[in-house]
Formats: sequence, structure tokens, C-alpha cells
Amino acid sequence: MGPFQYFRQNGGKILRGATYAVQFMCFAHVFNQYIAEATFCMGPSMLPTFNISGTIVAVEHITPHFRGYRMGDVVVCISPAAPGRAVLKRILGLPGDNVCVDPTSQERKYIDIPEGHVWLSGDNLSNSTDSRYYGPVAMGLIRGRVFAKLWPECRLVPDALIPVSKEHYNR
Amino acid sequence: MGFYSRMRTSPYFSPAVKALAWFPVVMFFVDHGFSYGTVHGRSMQPTFNPDSNKMWRDRVLLNKWAVTDHEFKRGEVVTLTSPSDPKCVLTKRIIALEGDTVQPLKHNKAPVYVPKGHCWIEGDEAFHSRDSNTFGTVPMGLIKAKVTHVLFPFDRFGPVEKRPISKRVTVGFIQPGQDDDYW
Repeated sequence: MGPFQYFRQNGGKILRGATYAVQFMCFAHVFNQYIAEATFCMGPSMLPTFNISGTIVAVEHITPHFRGYRMGDVVVCISPAAPGRAVLKRILGLPGDNVCVDPTSQERKYIDIPEGHVWLSGDNLSNSTDSRYYGPVAMGLIRGRVFAKLWPECRLVPDALIPVSKEHYNR
Repeated sequence: MGFYSRMRTSPYFSPAVKALAWFPVVMFFVDHGFSYGTVHGRSMQPTFNPDSNKMWRDRVLLNKWAVTDHEFKRGEVVTLTSPSDPKCVLTKRIIALEGDTVQPLKHNKAPVYVPKGHCWIEGDEAFHSRDSNTFGTVPMGLIKAKVTHVLFPFDRFGPVEKRPISKRVTVGFIQPGQDDDYW
């Protein structure tokens, strides 16, 4: 049976299968865009929270719509310097906050975060290109919040920064 | 019979599920292909909403597929998320791209160098526009769509004109060695 006859006999099934494939792929894409997705990220900037050789993280898009982004959230964000690249960083300042630009430098400089922007910082300050270099980041660039690590270890990423009592800090 | 089994045996169930299965495809097309938008405000006069007294707003065709490779030309009209309010969408024209030097509209201000990954946007109507003259350069990751055609009103139906490069722009380029690697 030549290819033309095969298609004429099974054309309906092939078309139905292709339709289901397109519908499923679009559903998966819309699910990834609006509900949750799993992405791979690697790099030294979020050590020790995320390792250097690669982690699969679970990103969700639902809670930012309802309660906004909070201090301490790990977020996936489009890089301000390269619109095709995504970066993984932690929010350390919300709009209106006054943050220290670089805690590792000799002289401390402080900056007010303008409205609509956040301050992003990697957990590994010794090797992280973050808001210390490109300044406050517009919130329109943030893509989602990381809520769990999936591989190589499967665990939830803790919610926010841990409050420390004043006596502990002054000791 | 219970509610669920009555729903399943209804003659409308199967066509409804089949129609619902096309919903994500339509959402994908609207998000990443083409959709239409409404232009509010006077910042893009006379290109959009040229007559403030009329009741209608311009409807335009948004091309979202064209921004997936982040290639823009100076003089294109784009929509972008506002840097000062992530819920607000602006419609502005790209005046300068990365590597260029722009003279802002206020002549007493110094020329601005547009860094990598950023652009300088302005509204066509300078006096009623909150644009890069207000908040500086804008990261290109905020740009959502290119505005290619005006759909309504019908007497202005047609492609949106691209303006030539403004005289306040000194075209430059990013040196090949300065490709910073951001993690």
C-alpha cells in the first residue's frame, strides 16, 4: 500500500491524533504559563539553597496574583540585561523599602526602591550578578515564584525569611 | 441517577468537552500570536486617538509572535508593561536601542547611554506622555507586543507607520567583548 492510499484510509485517525496533540500541547503550555511549571536552573548565584550543577525547580504563578510578592520569595525573573534569559534570585526589597546596596563592600550605601520595582539578590553574594549591579528590577519582569525543588532532592522551599529576635542580634 | 452520570449521558456532554478542548489553543494563540488591544490616552497622538473629543478609542492589532526573538527596530510602536506599575500596559514608540546615546527631550539633561538589554521609548505626543523621559531606559523584557496595524476606526485602518530615526539619537553598538554573563 503506497503512502497516498495509507493516508486516504487512515487520514481521519491521523488528523484526530494531530488535533489531540495540538490541544494537549497548548493545554500544557497554558498550564505552565498560568498555574505551575518545572524549570531547570544552574549556576553559583543561589548557593547553598540551590546547587551549582543544576536543579529542577517548581515555579508557581497563582499566589503572586492574590497576595503579591513577599520579602524572601525566590523568584524566576527575566534578566534586565538579556530579555531571552531567565534568572533565579531572592527578593530582598519591596517597593518603597530602603535597602543596603552591597553588604560586602567597605562603605555601606543605601537606596530607596522606586514603586513597581524590587531588589533581587542571590544567596551567594560572592558570586552573584544581581541588583547590586543592575539596580532595582521592574516587577513586570518577574515570571513566577519558586515553591519547591524537584530534583536532585525533592522538598519545599521555605516560605520567607526567618525572624530573628533582637537579643540574638545584639549578642 | 446522580448528577454526574446524568451529565455524562447527556447528548450535549461530548460536544461541550470537544469545544472546551479548543480553549487552551485559543488562549495560546491570543497570548503568543495575535490579539487586539485598545489604546487609551493621548500619549500617542496623532498616531492613535488623534481626536480627543471623539467617544471611541482606537483598536489595534497586537503582534506577540514578533517579540519572541526580541529583535526590534527604532521607530516601531510596541506595548509594554509599565516599569512603575506592573498592572499597567503602555503603548509607546521605540526611539533608541541598546548601545545608542539619546538626548532626552529636556535639553538641560545629559545624554543617556542605553545599556545592554534596555531601550528608550517615547510617546508621539511629548506633552502628554509618561515615557523614558520620566522613568529612564526600560528593559526590553517588559515589551509584550508590537503594534502593527490599526483595526478601528475604519477610516484609519492600515499599518502603523514606523518613524525614521530621531535626530536626538546617536546610533551606537555594544562592543562584542562586553557581553556580560548574568546568572
